[in-house]
Amino acid sequence: MKKTIKLPLFSSYEFDSKFYDELFSKNKEVRDIYKTLFKLFSQYSVKEFNALNDRAKESFFNLGITFQVYGENSVQEKIFPFDLFPRIIEHKEWDTIEKGVLQRSKALNHFLWDLYHDQKIIKQGIVPLDLISSSENFISQMKGVDPPEGIYNHISGTDLIKHSDGNYYVLEDNIRCPSGVSYVIGNRTAVKHALFGVFNKYNTHRVVDYGANLLEIMESVKPKGVDNPVCVIITPGVYNSAYYEHSFLAKQMGIDLVEGRDLFVENDFVYKRTIYGPTKVDVIYRRIDDLFIDPLVFRADSLLGVPNLFSAYKKGNVCLVNAPGTGVADDKAIYTYMPEIIKYYLDEDAILSNVHTYHCSREKELSYVLENVDKLVVKPVDESGGYGISIGNKLTKEEIQKVKDTVKANPRKYIAQPIMSLSTHPTYIEETQSFEPRHVDLRTFTLLGKDKEYVLKGGLSRVALRKGNLVVNSSQGGGSKDTWVLKS
Amino acid sequence: MLARVANNLFWMGRYIERSEHLARYLNVNYFSSLDAPNELSQSRQFVLRSIMFMASNEIIDAKIKLKEEDILFNVGLNTEKPYSIIHTFNSAYENARSARDLISTELFESINRINHSIKNYSPEAFVKNGLYDFTTMITKSTAEIRSKIKGTLLHDETYAIIMLGIYLERSLQVTRIINAKCSDAAVEKIKYETIDDGSHQWSTLLKCVFSYDMMRRFYKKTPNKNTTLEFLILNPDCPRSIKNSLGQIKKYIRIISKHQKVTNNSAAFLIGKLQSEFEYKLIEDIEENIEDFISDLINKLVVIGAKLEDNYFKIAETPIIENVKVLKQNQ
Repeated sequence: MKKTIKLPLFSSYEFDSKFYDELFSKNKEVRDIYKTLFKLFSQYSVKEFNALNDRAKESFFNLGITFQVYGENSVQEKIFPFDLFPRIIEHKEWDTIEKGVLQRSKALNHFLWDLYHDQKIIKQGIVPLDLISSSENFISQMKGVDPPEGIYNHISGTDLIKHSDGNYYVLEDNIRCPSGVSYVIGNRTAVKHALFGVFNKYNTHRVVDYGANLLEIMESVKPKGVDNPVCVIITPGVYNSAYYEHSFLAKQMGIDLVEGRDLFVENDFVYKRTIYGPTKVDVIYRRIDDLFIDPLVFRADSLLGVPNLFSAYKKGNVCLVNAPGTGVADDKAIYTYMPEIIKYYLDEDAILSNVHTYHCSREKELSYVLENVDKLVVKPVDESGGYGISIGNKLTKEEIQKVKDTVKANPRKYIAQPIMSLSTHPTYIEETQSFEPRHVDLRTFTLLGKDKEYVLKGGLSRVALRKGNLVVNSSQGGGSKDTWVLKS
Repeated sequence: MLARVANNLFWMGRYIERSEHLARYLNVNYFSSLDAPNELSQSRQFVLRSIMFMASNEIIDAKIKLKEEDILFNVGLNTEKPYSIIHTFNSAYENARSARDLISTELFESINRINHSIKNYSPEAFVKNGLYDFTTMITKSTAEIRSKIKGTLLHDETYAIIMLGIYLERSLQVTRIINAKCSDAAVEKIKYETIDDGSHQWSTLLKCVFSYDMMRRFYKKTPNKNTTLEFLILNPDCPRSIKNSLGQIKKYIRIISKHQKVTNNSAAFLIGKLQSEFEYKLIEDIEENIEDFISDLINKLVVIGAKLEDNYFKIAETPIIENVKVLKQNQ
């Protein structure tokens, strides 16, 4: 590792040839696509840039784009760490990503339909039965239920990484309640304000149309017999960490943001309580987990949901976005079968590659994993948010033994992948007052509706702020960046 | 509009208005007492009692000696006191947060930013020398918020509900301020039988509700009890008078209830009834027994508030559980 750049804002930029750096090529030259942007950044003094950075942070704070941290006696409000250096994706590269994530979302939708109906893919031995029957996220109440227009995963969040070979790989699919889209739009606004001088030199796709597209998707899956569907978003409430996003989306779409107590079900129809009495609700974008949506069917102690909601859903009188039970298909063990799933339903080869995955449920692979914990990332199959992940090369001997014991105790619960070299991107580090390379991934957002599909041209580039860290989730101290997808 | 969110908006309006009146009362009473004409109205104890009476409705035993720093801190920045400005404004913020999808980004940003400024205001600086600065900041801030309400929201039911909250609270607060100052003037009168009817207290009262200059313009005389009360209770053009507020309340309840039949005892009915009483009221009808008039008015306004909640904001009773906040969304 050595320093080569003399600019004040890049004084601590250390190159590491093991990783793909998105700004600099192997011979330490700024990549063409970043040249204009880099020129702008290289003109700033540290003082000027700090002022710019502080203003951007202040605007997030004033706009209340924040989350709450609950201490013992007090509540602290914090902004999500945000980096002003945008990530740029070229048109051609994006084209592959867009086609790839759309293909996955469609295949997953077919897969879900099949799982909750005939289970042909299992009967034909392509996906093993025990993966489904042992999954906590398979919701037996959904068997035989036909969601309006046959859509399960209206909203999918696909996490991608750029490996040292320069190619994108899918890290995981999120088709329960993927979050983060409000930050895509918030980040864009902040970057536009701060870097207006350079923004117009790049022909970038807009991201603000996400809300309008989401509403169209929601309206397209209205129950039968409804002409002008009433759509709402249901939130667990103001204390939820994603409440800002829920209220943001409701405002963007101009629809009501409801809590469970605002809704009730009568004769299998859903109503919201308004100042003039009940109004029927047709489509609900629910930001409440499956088990909380209806205390009469799932968790009885849930106060977030609506009694009898599931019954109304089964009757086809209301549409839930996403459908209950989608979690079975974004399980990290199912992930490994994605190439086969895509081939089976769409008769296509997967456009985006998977990261090679070892199933601890298979004896041979389990023994490989146990012998190579230090070289692998071990993940629980049904957790999200970066919880329970161990990264082999960061572990002490004792920790490795602990991981082995945990995996041995419940092999079905774990998968392992080679430690992937996430690409790095220049990220401003306040302690050193310099940009430094940090690992990033990319979450894309895909929408599926009746005769309509949409991929947000942009996404959330999540960045691991700690040096060398590979886990980018915001719950693990990650930040984010604006992502520019260039027009052709 | 959702009944729950309507309730949030109504209370947002009320708390914003309440913050302003508290700040203004604190400011005007404290500073006007510094050069008041007699010993009593200059006395710290007298002023602090008046402030406590207005803020918390508390009549403090005469034997208790109040500590200035404590009273100022309690009314200004003590988060533990539900009547404090910081608590009141934070309630406005929490209500706005629950309805933030319905209000404009610009409005929410103002409320959010101001709430941060209040929270970060140093209590030491406040009680030492920040009283003027802090209370002025609150009145400026509430003016900014009202202008954003007026200038950035659709003037539909959402707006009408916020305005209902603002004007109901205004009429209540102005009534309470009149009550507090009448009581101060009465105490003064007993003590100093020889002086006039306490023009100093009436000037202070007018300043507490931003109406001193316009009252002078209207009557072209030094304020006395009758002209002050007439102006603040019955002048239709004074934007802070009870009569004006009742007119506004009636205007906004009409927007909300226009598609409904007004039944006896509904909020719209009670508002109309009270407003009609005021239409032909004269100061001569009131001056004889101002105390009864005020307590009767407060009762009626409280009933109207409760009726509004009953008619429009009813939601299912669901206990709020603490673990809601720990439920995370991980994806």
